[in-house]
Amino acid sequence: MASLMSKPRDAHTIPVSFTVNGKLYELEVEPHELLLDVIRDRLGLTGAKRSCDVQVCGACTLLLDGRPVSSCTLPAFEARGKEVQTIEGLAHNGKLHPLQDAFIEHGGFQCGFCTPGMILTAKVMLEENPEPSEEQIKHFMHGNICRCTGYKKIIASILAASKKMRPPAPAKRKS
Amino acid sequence: MRFEREIEILNSKEHVWRFLWDVDRFIACVPGCKEAGTVEAGKHYTATMTEKVGPFRVEFPMRIDVLESRELSHIKALATGSDSKVGSRMKVELEVRLAGNGNKTTLSLATSVDILGKLATLGHSIIKRKADQVMDEFARALKQKLEGSA
Amino acid sequence: MLRRFRLEEPETIPQASELLARYGDAARIYAGGTELLLVMKEGLAHYERLVNVKKIPRLSEVKQDGETISIGALATHRQLSVSPALRQHFPAFVEMEAHVANVRVREVGTLGGNLCFAEPHADPGTLLLVLGAKLIAAKGTGQREIPIEKFFVDAYESCLEPDELLTEIRVPLRPARSGVAYLKFGYLERPSVGVALSLALNGKGNSLGDVRLAVGCVGPTARRIEEAESLLKGKTIDEAPQRVAEAGAVAARASQAISDLHGSQDYKEHIVGVLLKRAFQRAVEQCK
Repeated sequence: MASLMSKPRDAHTIPVSFTVNGKLYELEVEPHELLLDVIRDRLGLTGAKRSCDVQVCGACTLLLDGRPVSSCTLPAFEARGKEVQTIEGLAHNGKLHPLQDAFIEHGGFQCGFCTPGMILTAKVMLEENPEPSEEQIKHFMHGNICRCTGYKKIIASILAASKKMRPPAPAKRKS
Repeated sequence: MRFEREIEILNSKEHVWRFLWDVDRFIACVPGCKEAGTVEAGKHYTATMTEKVGPFRVEFPMRIDVLESRELSHIKALATGSDSKVGSRMKVELEVRLAGNGNKTTLSLATSVDILGKLATLGHSIIKRKADQVMDEFARALKQKLEGSA
Repeated sequence: MLRRFRLEEPETIPQASELLARYGDAARIYAGGTELLLVMKEGLAHYERLVNVKKIPRLSEVKQDGETISIGALATHRQLSVSPALRQHFPAFVEMEAHVANVRVREVGTLGGNLCFAEPHADPGTLLLVLGAKLIAAKGTGQREIPIEKFFVDAYESCLEPDELLTEIRVPLRPARSGVAYLKFGYLERPSVGVALSLALNGKGNSLGDVRLAVGCVGPTARRIEEAESLLKGKTIDEAPQRVAEAGAVAARASQAISDLHGSQDYKEHIVGVLLKRAFQRAVEQCK
């Protein structure tokens, strides 16, 4: 882990400040430190996982200014001045996000390893497209890989959440 | 990956055979191969295989074992090596056959190249193309060296 | 893990160029890093210095400049996939960008970085080859225009000089009654075969005036296949479909396919033919 390796005396560090789930952090990072390692090892937020390490599986997905990134391949200094959101920041005052509820209710996870990445990515998709078709879900989520579920229940969870998250239809006026 | 080449050499079988066992001159024909060494003449050798593709460089220190050899007929060798920096291993099986009379020798080369590890996953087609190129240059260099000198 | 490196953050093109000139092989331009950091993590390459060019202003804009669309080299795939200017003038380009890699790579990866890394298994280069794109390369002392056909030299090798930066990709607007299509096939993480086709009807509108065909992912670089283009060029709208199969076979043979993890040589050549047939149908439809 980068932070535990001994630093040479002339190590070049960059002061970065960014928020994580709304909380401000000010750190010194070396250029080669990856965002995933800083989030997991220095900030203790272990929801994001190192899985493929080559940005194809999505288990390391974090939101940077609301957009999904592969934190396994993003240097931590790229987060400076930005807002990071992790799965730990999704619930609000102890109340789960509708996507989290839906994944539980519809069996959208088994081992749970891919789940933080799945949920964060689905959150972004639903912000862009609140009424996605199954094809659109598959396209957006194409870079999030699951080895357990076969994806059907993940898609079902996302569809269910999208229905819950849509603003209710305006009440019909009585003529 | 298998590669086969057949080269017509205007020189005697004896001459070709002697050349094949001259490790330094033989290795000099393989592009990217350097630092040839003899551990046990006729049995074990060492060399370093290097390759460059665009900005990428790999270096495989190889150990070469002669599995079979019959005077003026054929040699079978196995070269293995690994590059820990890229987590990859290379295995090359080389079979060389000589045929011919008088001043004309037909040299048949059959090579089986296996790359294991990250390089294989990341760059399979590049490796194949490079290996093909290396075989071409190797065959050319062999012919040139063997026909150039008397 | 990434090995240690020093970060340089120039704020102008001459500064960036000067850093590249000063450090030579020990430095490399870093934009999105989606290709570069991967090979550095794998240990295939190491640079002591990465030159972050994202602080240089105005390198990521997409704008119309007369009869040309100018795309900043630092525009991300995501930006390009939602650009109104591109959607209006090059819907096929927008669709291609929307399908590059995955949503996270699209967010961070740049078009310029993609082109300069020259990974054979990539999409944008193949399509740009049939759009007549011109690439602008700049250094301290000025800039030059490079036609896309000259840009890719070999796998992972562009024609850029060591101290040059790619700053802009310029694509001329399409004439009326023209069509563009890009199709790809792949089942691994990267595409295995890509075929791009652009057609333009002649003045009278009864035959193919301009035909450009490119095959990507299959050989060491994406290339235009002029031998196949000439089979279709000048043919009438009715004749051309009959020559497509032959053009596909010519393009397939010229694509330098080899058998590897992406498929056998035969299979890839076959897919080139199939994709060309479909691309032709799509492009011709747009011409009407």
